[in-house]
Amino acid sequence: MRYYARKLGFYLVALWAAVTLNFFIPRMMPGNPVDILMAKLQQRGGTVDPAVRRSYELLLGADHSDSLAQQYFSYLSHLLHGDLGVSVSAYPAKVSDVIGQSLPWTIVLIGMATLISFALGLALGTLVGWKRGTWLDSVIPGTTVLAAVPYFWLALILAALLSSTLQWFPLLGGYDVSLAMGWNWPFISSAIYHGILPALTIVISSVGGWLLGMRNMMVSTAAEDYMLTARAKGLRNRRIMIRYAARNAALPSVAGFATSLGFVVSGSVMTEQVFSYPGIGGRLLQAVENNDYALMQGIFLVITVAVLGANLLVDLLYGLIDPRTRASN
Amino acid sequence: MSRIRSESRRVGIAGAVALGLVLTGCSGGGGTAGGGSDTLVAYTGQAGDYQINFNPYSPTAIDGPGTIFEPLFFYNIARKDNPAPRLGTAFSWNKQGTELSITLRSDAKWSDGKKFTADDVAFTLDMIRKNPGMNSTGYSGRATVVDATHVKITFDKPSFSDGPQILGKSWIVPKHIWSKITKPSEDVMKQPVGTGPYKLAVFKPQAFTLEANPDYYGGAPALKKVRFVALSGNQSGADALKSGQIDWQTGPVPDVRNVSKNYPGYKAITVPMNQAALFTCANADLGCSGPQTDPAVRKAVYYAMDRTQLNALAFENTASEISPGFALPERDRTVVSSRLTDRIAPMNPQADKAARLLQDAGYTKGSDGIYAKGGKKLALTVKVVSGWTDYITAVNTIAEQLKKAGIKLTAQQVSWNEWSDARGRGHYQLLIDSLSQGPAPDPYYLYSYFFSAKTTARVGQSANPNFSRFKDAEVDAALDALKAIDPQNTAARQPYYDTIQTEIEKSMPYIPLLTGGTTSEFNASKFSGWPSDDNLYAFPAVWGRPDNSQVFLHLKPAK
Repeated sequence: MRYYARKLGFYLVALWAAVTLNFFIPRMMPGNPVDILMAKLQQRGGTVDPAVRRSYELLLGADHSDSLAQQYFSYLSHLLHGDLGVSVSAYPAKVSDVIGQSLPWTIVLIGMATLISFALGLALGTLVGWKRGTWLDSVIPGTTVLAAVPYFWLALILAALLSSTLQWFPLLGGYDVSLAMGWNWPFISSAIYHGILPALTIVISSVGGWLLGMRNMMVSTAAEDYMLTARAKGLRNRRIMIRYAARNAALPSVAGFATSLGFVVSGSVMTEQVFSYPGIGGRLLQAVENNDYALMQGIFLVITVAVLGANLLVDLLYGLIDPRTRASN
Repeated sequence: MSRIRSESRRVGIAGAVALGLVLTGCSGGGGTAGGGSDTLVAYTGQAGDYQINFNPYSPTAIDGPGTIFEPLFFYNIARKDNPAPRLGTAFSWNKQGTELSITLRSDAKWSDGKKFTADDVAFTLDMIRKNPGMNSTGYSGRATVVDATHVKITFDKPSFSDGPQILGKSWIVPKHIWSKITKPSEDVMKQPVGTGPYKLAVFKPQAFTLEANPDYYGGAPALKKVRFVALSGNQSGADALKSGQIDWQTGPVPDVRNVSKNYPGYKAITVPMNQAALFTCANADLGCSGPQTDPAVRKAVYYAMDRTQLNALAFENTASEISPGFALPERDRTVVSSRLTDRIAPMNPQADKAARLLQDAGYTKGSDGIYAKGGKKLALTVKVVSGWTDYITAVNTIAEQLKKAGIKLTAQQVSWNEWSDARGRGHYQLLIDSLSQGPAPDPYYLYSYFFSAKTTARVGQSANPNFSRFKDAEVDAALDALKAIDPQNTAARQPYYDTIQTEIEKSMPYIPLLTGGTTSEFNASKFSGWPSDDNLYAFPAVWGRPDNSQVFLHLKPAK
C-alpha cells in the first residue's frame, strides 16, 4: 500500500508544479491580447481607431491592476472550482466550452491512431524479432525511414497523392459540413471517412519506432534462460513467442506508450494543420497566436493531466504486470 | 492588410511514393466544403474551428455585420462613391456638423416578422453609447426619434468625421430583442434576428451557412446560400481553391497574375488599398533612439530604394505607386497635394539625392562603403514577422538596394506576438507594415490614426496606432480643423490636406514603399456580378464587413 501512496503523493506534487508552470510560462510571451486582437482586426480591414482599442480593453477586462501573485492565487482557486476562465480569442466563450468542442475530435483521431500504431508495431516487432535473419528483417529499415521522414512532409505528400490526385480521401476537414451533426450514421461515417487519411499518416510515421523497440527487446529476450527452458519443455513455438518472449519484451514499450498517450493531445498540431482537422492542436495554436492565456492554461492543463494520468495508470498497472517493481520498492 | 500570407508554397506532388500499403479504395472523393450549385463557399482565412458568435459588436463575431445586421448606409472604401442606402435613405448634416438628420426606409422588417422603425435605430445608438465595451467608434451623440422614419443625432462638437462610423458601421439591432439582454456585449446571438439580406441557416464549428431572407425589403437576393468554411490557414485555403472547394477567398496565391489559367473558371482582382511602409520609431523626444530619428536618414532610405525592382521581386508586380503624402494615388487622386515635392514616390533609385541628404546631415562614407557619423555606422534593423514571405523578401531586397547607397539594413524576423508588442511600445528602429484606411474613402481617417499626437505615447507605453510617435503641431491643427468641415466641401478641406501631406513628406515618419494590393480570387463560372476594375462597387475582400454583403447582393448564379 505504501507503494501506491508514495506514487500518488508524487503525482500530486508533479501536478502542482505543472499547473504553476502552465500559469507562468504563457505570461513570459511578449505582447498582450488586446494589441494582438487590434493588429489582427487591422489586417482584416478593421479600423484602428483608438476608440476601438479602448472598447476592447474594457470588454476583455485587460486591466493589469492585479499583481501577478494575485492573479496566480485566483487562478488556483478558480481551477479548484473547475473554472478555467474565459477565452480571449473566442470571447465570450468559456475555455471549457472551447476545449470541449475540440477535444473529442483529437482524442478519437489521435488516440485511435496511436493505439493502432502501438498494437501494429508490437505485433510486427514480435514477428520480426522472432523470425530474425529472414526476409522480414527488411521491414525494419523500411519503417524506420518512414519514421525518420519529417511528419508534415509525409502528410503533405500523402495528401497530395491520395486526396488531390487520386481523390480517394477528402482533402480537408473532419466531416461533411452539409450533414447534420450528431449520432446518425451518415455523419459518423463521414467523420470516419475523413479521419482515415490523417490517422494513416500518423500510423505510418510512428509505427517504426514501436516496431524497432519491440524487435530489439524480442531479440534480447530470446537469449534468456527461461526461453531455453520453455523450449526444453517442448512448448509450442507460438506459445513461447507470445507468452514467454513477447510478454516480457513488451514491458518497456508499455511504459513508452504511457508517454505517447500524453502526446495524443499535444502532438496533433501538425496533423490538424495539414488536414484542417478540427481539434485541440489548432486551438492551441490559436491561443498562442493571440496571447490567450486562459485558453493556453486550459489546454496545457489537459495535456498535463493526460500525461500524468497515463503515467500513473501505467505505474499502477506495471505493479500488476511486473511484480518486481513493487517488491524493490 | 491582406496579411494572410502563404508560408510555404508547396510543390505539386513528388512522383510516386511506394508505401507498400494496400488501401481500401473508398469511392466518392469530392469536396467536403463544396456546396451545391446555388451555394457560394467563402473562406475568410478562419484558422481552426468557428466558435459561435453572431454579435455584430463583438470583436470575435464570425459574421453578421452587413449580411444579417445592416448599417444605415454602405460606404464603398474602394471608390469615391456616395454612400449607398441600406436601412437609411438619406442623411444631412447641419452647417456646424453638430446635428445629423437621417431618413429611414419604411418597408424593412426584422426576420422575426416585426417592423423596423426609428426606435430600433435610436435604441442601437444609445446602447453603443452606454456600453463602453461596444463603443468602438467613440460615439458620443444623442439620438432622438422624430417619427417612425426619421432620427436626429446631436453632438456637443462638430462631428462630420464621425459620420461614416455612425452611418456605415453601426449595425442596427432589434429593440424588442436586445432591450431584454442584460449584457449585450457578451451575448453571442445564437439566433440572430436582423433586417439583412441573409439569415443564419445552420451553424457547425467547421462551417456555417447563411440563406437568403425571403422577406428582405429589396427582394430575396439571387444568391441563395453562402457557406463560410473554417480551414487551418491560408495554405489549406490555397489547396481548397485549387481543388475547387471554395468559391471566394482573399489572399495571395502563387503566380497571382495567371489565376484564370491556373484555376479554370476563377478570376482574381487586386485593389490597391494599403500603403506598405517602413515604420520608423521617429521621435527622439518620446524616447526613440537610433539613426532613424534623423529625418535625413529616413529620406535617404526613401530615395535610395528601387521600387520597380521591389515590386517585381517581392510583390509579383501586384503593388502600385505610392504618394509620400499617403493619399491613395488612384482613389484619392483629387486630394493628392500639388505642393508635394514628389506627388508620387520615385520608382527608380535617386542615389545622388540620398547621398546629398546624408552628407548634409554630417555622415561620411567609410572604407567599407557604409556611411558613418561620429564613429557610428549607419546601420538599421527592420523587424518583420516570420512567415510573411512577401515582406521578408521586400526587406531583403531593400537591404541590398540600400547597401549600394551606403546604408546597412538588417532584417530581424520575429514572431507575430513579439512584433506587435514591439510595434505598440516603440521598441524598434524600423519595421515593415502597412497603413490602413478608415470607414470612408477619405484619407482623413488614415491621417487621424497614424499621424495624430492624440494616438501616440512615449516609448514603453502602448501607442495605438501612431506607432512612429510622430508629433507635429501643424498636422494636429489641420486634423482638428478638418473635423469641423463638411466632407462634401472639398475645396475648404484641401488646404488642410496640403498642409498634412507636405508636413508628412518633410518628416517622413513612415517611409513609403508601394501601395499594396489586396487580391481576391473568385469563381466567375459559377456566379456572375463580381466587382471588377471597371465596376468596383465594393471592396472585394471576403472578410470585409459589410463589403462582402454588398457583393453577395450583386451576385447571381451564372446559369
